[in-house]
Amino acid sequence: MSEERREPEETRSPAFRRWMANAAGALIFPLIAILISFAIGAVIMLVTGNNPVTAFGALLRGAFGSPLAIGRTLLNATPLVFTGLAVAVAFRAGLFNIGGEGQFFIGAITAAVVGAYLGSLGVFGMVLALAACALAGFLWGAIPGFLKAYFGAHEVITTIMLNYVGIYLATYLALNPFRSEGLVPGTEAIDLTARIPFLAAGLGRANYGFVFALVAAAAVYLLLWRTKRGFEIRAVGLSPGAASYAGMGIGLNTVLALAIGGSLAALGGGEEVLGVYGKMSIPFVENIGFNGIGVALLGRNHPVGVILGAILFGGMTAGAQEMQFSTNVPLQLTDVLLAVILLLVTATKLVELIVGKRARALAGTRLEGGL
Amino acid sequence: MTEREAGGATTGAQAEAPVVLEMRGITKAFGPVKANDNISITLHRGEILGLLGENGAGKSTLMKILYGLYKPDSGAIFIDGEEVEIHDPKDAVSRGIGMVHQHFTLIPPLTVAENIVLGAEPRKGFSLDLEGAVKATEELSERYGLVVDPRARVADLSVGVQQRVEILKTLYREARILVLDEPTAVLTPQETEDLFAVLKELVADGLSIIFITHKLGELLGISDRITIIRDGHVVATVVTAETDERELARLMVGRDVLLRVEKTETKPGEPRLAAEELVVLSNTGARAVDAVSLEVRSGEILGVAGVDGNGQTELADALAGVRYAESGRVYLDGEDVTALGSDPRQERGLAYVPEDRASKGLVQDFALYENNSLKTYDEPPFSRWGWIFPKVMRRRAAENLRAYDVRPPDPEARARSLSGGNQQKAILAREFSDDPGVIIASQPTRGVDVGAIEFIHRQLLEQRSEGKAILLISLELEEVRSLSDRIVVIYAGRIVGEVGPDATDEELGLLMAGREEKST
Repeated sequence: MSEERREPEETRSPAFRRWMANAAGALIFPLIAILISFAIGAVIMLVTGNNPVTAFGALLRGAFGSPLAIGRTLLNATPLVFTGLAVAVAFRAGLFNIGGEGQFFIGAITAAVVGAYLGSLGVFGMVLALAACALAGFLWGAIPGFLKAYFGAHEVITTIMLNYVGIYLATYLALNPFRSEGLVPGTEAIDLTARIPFLAAGLGRANYGFVFALVAAAAVYLLLWRTKRGFEIRAVGLSPGAASYAGMGIGLNTVLALAIGGSLAALGGGEEVLGVYGKMSIPFVENIGFNGIGVALLGRNHPVGVILGAILFGGMTAGAQEMQFSTNVPLQLTDVLLAVILLLVTATKLVELIVGKRARALAGTRLEGGL
Repeated sequence: MTEREAGGATTGAQAEAPVVLEMRGITKAFGPVKANDNISITLHRGEILGLLGENGAGKSTLMKILYGLYKPDSGAIFIDGEEVEIHDPKDAVSRGIGMVHQHFTLIPPLTVAENIVLGAEPRKGFSLDLEGAVKATEELSERYGLVVDPRARVADLSVGVQQRVEILKTLYREARILVLDEPTAVLTPQETEDLFAVLKELVADGLSIIFITHKLGELLGISDRITIIRDGHVVATVVTAETDERELARLMVGRDVLLRVEKTETKPGEPRLAAEELVVLSNTGARAVDAVSLEVRSGEILGVAGVDGNGQTELADALAGVRYAESGRVYLDGEDVTALGSDPRQERGLAYVPEDRASKGLVQDFALYENNSLKTYDEPPFSRWGWIFPKVMRRRAAENLRAYDVRPPDPEARARSLSGGNQQKAILAREFSDDPGVIIASQPTRGVDVGAIEFIHRQLLEQRSEGKAILLISLELEEVRSLSDRIVVIYAGRIVGEVGPDATDEELGLLMAGREEKST
């Protein structure tokens, strides 16, 4: 017994080194994917008579070249962090949450309505609106959870279907009961004092929503790796059999994981309303929920990865305009690049084929556990 | 390496017999691991060659290469002296190789004859000639003395007869080299004897058999020569008549092994775990456990013997609270815990080692420290106010892993990366370290190597001498007999008899086949 007491000091540094190795391993695959996709992009540019160096230069400048560009990138990345986390949490419980889009819309309409009514409360109103968002998203996300846990309905089907319900419900509410008098169709504008404040003078419209997103990512990390609930969610996700043998409730954890995911995606919608648009106008921003799936994939369903993935997505979108502006490359090319990146990240065997088996060894066995 | 290499120069009848199969210098690597490293075996006509090795030693890989499922990195295969390349199982079958897998590949709703001709059906014009199939089956079973009813549905047959059908299937395809993978794992002692009689008949008819197993005793009774494989190498090929169990164990494990653990006398005390008229349904709704009553007292090991699939899984699950009992009661230290789930039972001092180590006992992709806390993650000192403390978990895991000799003793290692024996030790470390009062161990040594078996047996006996009440469910008769103080036999969900640890194979076998005890 006395010998084992020395353990703490001994384990710390190898544990830290292992953590670093894991992080490096997790990063290397997406990095390779990005490089390959850029190479393919360069070929497309050359074929269409553009100079890839100029174009990628413009893309980079547009994404990170100035405080204003960085602000745009962060602004784009913010809701994606939320919808990416929504997918990641569910995935850790072994569930595919494809319902981010609908959850995002539910969050947006909730924030728009609550914000419009409680806008006079200032910051307090904003906090209440975000809380209402989280609650609405939680309940909305719990629906497919219940259907799965108690009726065996596959969550992929139900979350996809609930997207339509969520989008049209939110659209209906914004255009009918809560429609404003204004010219632009949508809800009432929220009082300026109840909006999410801008981050800093130089960063354009980037707002504290990004900070909230970082907090949400940290909260998800703590939830998954530092709480009993997270322990159960991960155990259920990796091995339902072993989890139920250990006495954990599969149903409860299924419902909770999807509900927490729903509340995160809804917060993304709320952030867009309270931080960017000040109301829910119709048509509202689209595809943020769906892109969250890509962000989570790219980020290997880890909160830190999700942040990095969202910044990549956000930066590509921000830089695309600059690229189109200073070259003849259409901004849609960035969609192609992102699609190729995702394809390569999911098709690990393909990357293996291109760069050899060593990459897989570097990335570790957990690669197999990807989507 | 002092092991003698007797492979080429065997004495006895098969020395003059021609070599029908030779695998020469077979090497196969999976990543950095060499599953087969320059393995050579020879098989003579009319011979039974035992292939002995621990789990993971490379036996299955070698046979999968022979059957065309894997391509060797190097090495050659000769059949009847002619070098051949086997690309897929079809190739193997056409060259006269037949394989009987551990898990049968029969279609239960079809008849014996239909199963036997499946894939090579006799035809009459365009239609299936079922009568022809029946006739072919009858001829085969007569020729080799393998009694089966060609018209019986496979689903209605006992496991032993199903295995016979599997063998007939290979004979129908004119197999001359028969490979049997752990054929006795699912059989009662009597069925095993029947199988051995059949095998002897087959070799007398000129077939050659490779018999794969990790059970030492069996090979002594049936084989002519034994090739022992360890860590992907052939360590020796011995003539069965010139060897004994002790030598085989040493060759297989690489050191001396205690085949039978010493048991000290203990005095059983209070009953700690009891079942009363327990009825448990299987997943399909059948009465898997049918009014079972039993009592395990402190300081004793109660063995449950029986052929696989007679309700053992459901019984263990219901006692541990993982599965609900349909009726009847379960008592833990006198308290009625029937309505409680596994978590409260565990908190009351019940440890459960489930039979399905890989998918129930461990979360394969969790680190060992997480697996070590899989049941206690919600209790102090690992948890408070909903938070968990990985550092505390790691420290406790490091202690447990060392105490139970888990290799590597690294709390961060994924469970998946461990061998079967070490996974099982990690489970024991978790279950026993909390000082439980009652232990349910379901097939604790299934698929575990000999070295680890010895360790696990010692641990169980140590727990026994500490006054724990232990229920040991096992398919291995030898294990049940050497560890238990009392043995009950389960058949079709019912306890059909109780015997002492000195019961003979005969007695146990009859009970396991469902004959009720007459003496009581």
